Amino acid sequence: MQRKEAVMSKIGLIIQREYASRVKKRSFLVITILVPILIASLGFLAMWLSIQETKNIRVLVVDPGNLCGGKIYVGMEENPPATFYFQQDDISLEEFQHSEKYQAYDLLLGLDAKVITNKGIKGFFREKISTQVEYYIRNKIELRLEEYFALDYGISLNEYRIIRQEFNFHLENIDPDKVDTSYAQWVGFFFSIFIFIFIITYSSQVMRGVIEEKTSRVVEILVSSVKPIQLMMGKIIGIGLVGLTQFAIWIVLVSVALFLMRSLIFQDMMNPENLANAMGPMEGMSADILSGQMDVITKDSELIYIIYQGIPWATLLFLFVLYFIGGYLLYAGLFAVIGAAVDSETDSQQVMLPVMLPLMFSYAVGINIIFNPGGPAALWFSQIPFSSPIIMLQRVAAGTVHIGEVILSLALLTSAFVVILYGAAKVYRTGILMYGKKASWREIFKWLRY
Amino acid sequence: MEMLRVENIVKQYAGHLALDDISISTKKGEIFGLLGPNGAGKTTMIRIINQIIGPDAGKVFLDGRELRRDDISKIGYLPEERGLYKKMKVYDQVLYFARLKGMGKQEAKRKIDEWFEKFEITSWYSKKVEELSKGMAQKIQFIITVLHEPELLILDEPFSGFDPINAQLIRNEILDLKKKGASILLSTHNMSSVEEICDSIALMNHSKLILNGELSKVKEQFRSHTYAIQFKGMTFGFANALFADFSLEHSEQIDENRAVAHVKLLKGNTLNDLLRTVMQVVEVESVNEIVPSMNDIFIQAVNAKKGGSHE
Repeated sequence: MQRKEAVMSKIGLIIQREYASRVKKRSFLVITILVPILIASLGFLAMWLSIQETKNIRVLVVDPGNLCGGKIYVGMEENPPATFYFQQDDISLEEFQHSEKYQAYDLLLGLDAKVITNKGIKGFFREKISTQVEYYIRNKIELRLEEYFALDYGISLNEYRIIRQEFNFHLENIDPDKVDTSYAQWVGFFFSIFIFIFIITYSSQVMRGVIEEKTSRVVEILVSSVKPIQLMMGKIIGIGLVGLTQFAIWIVLVSVALFLMRSLIFQDMMNPENLANAMGPMEGMSADILSGQMDVITKDSELIYIIYQGIPWATLLFLFVLYFIGGYLLYAGLFAVIGAAVDSETDSQQVMLPVMLPLMFSYAVGINIIFNPGGPAALWFSQIPFSSPIIMLQRVAAGTVHIGEVILSLALLTSAFVVILYGAAKVYRTGILMYGKKASWREIFKWLRY
Repeated sequence: MEMLRVENIVKQYAGHLALDDISISTKKGEIFGLLGPNGAGKTTMIRIINQIIGPDAGKVFLDGRELRRDDISKIGYLPEERGLYKKMKVYDQVLYFARLKGMGKQEAKRKIDEWFEKFEITSWYSKKVEELSKGMAQKIQFIITVLHEPELLILDEPFSGFDPINAQLIRNEILDLKKKGASILLSTHNMSSVEEICDSIALMNHSKLILNGELSKVKEQFRSHTYAIQFKGMTFGFANALFADFSLEHSEQIDENRAVAHVKLLKGNTLNDLLRTVMQVVEVESVNEIVPSMNDIFIQAVNAKKGGSHE
């Protein structure tokens, strides 16, 4: 019993050293603070831009045939995305581009007198406008020209406007809890990149740590006090905890930033009666402020809506931690093997290839899955332990996954890392005391049997 | 009293046999020298005693009991290839290793102060190891090895890499620890240090034990019964007088009528017989026994085995 305790405390000491020596580094502090600031600013920028799109576009319609009669029907819209200006004198493109007089206009539309027969309208923009605004402009111009036809056929403007009403055409997921949009796919992809970077960063730190101990020969002193497996597991756990610590700090900082943005900057997007609620006590600091309160934010900006309500943050963060632990243990075991097998960091590149390939491959599959979240690739690679941490999170974010699939993939991942760590411990034991040569994979497999 | 006993240890690696049925034992409170050329299997042996690797066959006993995992706190090990964490502060590092050996935090801190004060290096506490010179780092490693007051010290090439002053310091510390009752097993190439401090030795070559026992007995075993006689008189007459009972190994003229001759006793003759014989022809000025140095013994033993085997 006492013996068991002593063993535990040794692993504890190793974990403590591995953890403290990394967390105390200045680079850890810098990255831990800078990254959330970066994420928050990018997030803010994206959301801010998504509102800025409603900026008014000034459209100059050159209408030599005066087909529109200098007028256009814009309805009752309060904040139309575009305003139309008419001019009968034709202008050249150079004039529009360079003349002082036209600089105030963002878009030039030419209505040829023959437009009625050839059905062609051409426009020139200074800066690309969003598809939504383009749709709006096109719709208004078409409507105006259709009115021209209507008058030709003896229908009054009022009559025509009653006929020609825009229908609100909207596609939605059949499951009301799911928000299946391309934005959610991208947020999912962001998560898969994030977990990919996390796994690579921290498992390669395990490798570097092993190499450091090996090349400095500290390992000789260490193994006379602790078992190699304690040393390896202590290192893997210690470094993994550094990753989780960093992640936790990031989550808190990003949540606070999103919370502040929501209550201070994107305030006008919320219902007044819910505003007080959202601005309320600190209880909302965690992830649930992000996913709760469905009706607070209007659907004006899809991105903002997705970020604050469409993404199952709590689930996602919880699964992130689980998949990070699983994926990290799996790859850290492999990287520990590489560290034990080589004699210096420069030697490691070549041996690393077979371990890096599945990671890189999963990343590539992730890109593919953005466009086909329900396809067979998504299905299979979210189960295979070498890729599941990266792919499954993406699917969860996009809401295209069943809970059973998550449980199955976690179970597969767990059994995979248990096997890998068991083998890694055996190879590690032999490798750390072999100096002066770089082992090939064949030798590494031989060490498994020692 | 026996401290360490190694019984019939065999260790086979994929390509070669590292230890071939090795048995040695060391007494409590003695300094035991494990000698042998590179690749003889010394480090493998030491790693097995430290439980870093396991033997394929054979057993290790410490203090009369079969070696167990928690015995590592009774052993202090200074490896041949030794290093420290470069970025870690000296104090933190020593404390870390002490605690890995099972020491309590307070006790370890007290001991660290003691040793650092003794070596007058308390100013190094907050230095990073990368700021230390090689010799300084080795002092730290030595402290790490002995801090937990091990009953058995295993020192693999303890003098390699030390400058003469530090080597002397370490030698004195080793003798001091012996005085305090520690048993010491050291492996070394440095034969002069073996003669100076070892009580017993074991010589290994090509995975086999070829020599083992108390230093004085080993030396006795390698006595060639050769004497250096300095005399006044004719070397020719001296050589003739020796006849068949003694053999003249070597002689050297000092000046015109004085010489030193190395004479080996044959057929059970004694030094007295030799003196009686030569006194009749020359005037003996001095006589010394030529005692083989450990270096000679080492080379002789290793070469003898080489000649006998197929290598």
